[in-house]
Amino acid sequence: MPSYKLYYFNGRGRAEVARLIFAAAGEKYEDVRYERDQWPAHKAEMPLGQMPVLEVDGVKLPQSLSIARFLAKQFHLAGKDNFEQAQVDAVVDTIYDCLTKYVPIRFETDEAKKEELTKKFLAEELPKHLQNFETLGKLYGKGGHFFVGKQLTWADLLFFDVGAIILQVDSNAFNNHAWLKQNRAEVEKQPKIAEYLKNRPQTQF
Amino acid sequence: KNSIQTTLMPSYKLSYFNGRGVGEVSRLIFAAAGQKYEDVRYEVDQWPAYKAEMPLGQMPVLEVDGIKLPQSAAIARFLAKQFHLAGKDNFEQAKVDAVVDTIYDTYKAWAPSRFGEDPVKKEALSKKFFGEELPKQLQNLETLGKLYGNGGHFFVGNQLTWADLFFHTITETLLGINADCLNNFPWLKQNRAEVEKQPKIAEYLKNRSKTEL
Repeated sequence: MPSYKLYYFNGRGRAEVARLIFAAAGEKYEDVRYERDQWPAHKAEMPLGQMPVLEVDGVKLPQSLSIARFLAKQFHLAGKDNFEQAQVDAVVDTIYDCLTKYVPIRFETDEAKKEELTKKFLAEELPKHLQNFETLGKLYGKGGHFFVGKQLTWADLLFFDVGAIILQVDSNAFNNHAWLKQNRAEVEKQPKIAEYLKNRPQTQF
Repeated sequence: KNSIQTTLMPSYKLSYFNGRGVGEVSRLIFAAAGQKYEDVRYEVDQWPAYKAEMPLGQMPVLEVDGIKLPQSAAIARFLAKQFHLAGKDNFEQAKVDAVVDTIYDTYKAWAPSRFGEDPVKKEALSKKFFGEELPKQLQNLETLGKLYGNGGHFFVGNQLTWADLFFHTITETLLGINADCLNNFPWLKQNRAEVEKQPKIAEYLKNRSKTEL
């Protein structure tokens, strides 16, 4: 029975997928959240001076996706065999590619430039990514609502989380993507997830 | 295709450009495992004719018993797990993944200095990368090697994993640009030497054609 401790800022960001995995699995963990002004004092404690970090029986693991994949495998939310796990990984990487394109825009400080870049992202970049998500869901989803193999995996949890960010930018983003809308609805319906979403701290990011 | 067929004797086909890039780690995994596969390589001018065949219009793609899998890291991790080069249990595999992610961070930090349009801008980016960013990333990688390497030469658990293979191929490219870039990192230099000493890898490297990327 390993002990789990997750370190991150007080927000969803790159740690939320790990929290969703713990929630979906009904597993306990210590959810350490540092405010921005507390973080500098703890930076040197983290292997790469970054968060999130997962501590498992006292050994620290950095890198948000490695953390999430590990937890998903621990709790049988990663795909049922090696090839299914690879399909889940491919979906995750594809979602992450979209997030990587958006993140610099999100942190742009010049408001006028940010608005222009956001418009360009929504018109030119996002449609390609959404099409890619649907392509993989249809390729690996065996006709069901989940991305891989007709059951909930962390790919669905990550899409749920990143989808929320996309919808904050454009609430109509999934209007032409019924399958993606339905996928997020299926995640929200999972009883443990529904409970978690109802009770989780409401944070700015 | 049922799962029994896949686990008994899968057929593997890797499609990528005629170069190392982010596909080479998978070729190294096949080589280390002594596993046969179809190594399809497209020249840059051939690629457009095949783009629509790939799920995301990108390469590399691994076809396993006819089912296509995109995304270089997902492909390499799958192959590493198939051939016991991924780490011996779930937590070791996570450590390997964390090292790989850190190597990818290094690659992504380097890419704009090589693949941009403006040569003046690229020169400035390259100086900044080799001068400031790369030493930080290499320090991070040494930190992880010491944290997870159990005192040995490999990144995780005293045995060869795909993290070592990925580090070798990405630094091959960086060393081609700046031959001194690992001089302050003897542990990392030794790690590359250990990879090159593996008999199946040595054989593969001897016969592999040299490419810039």
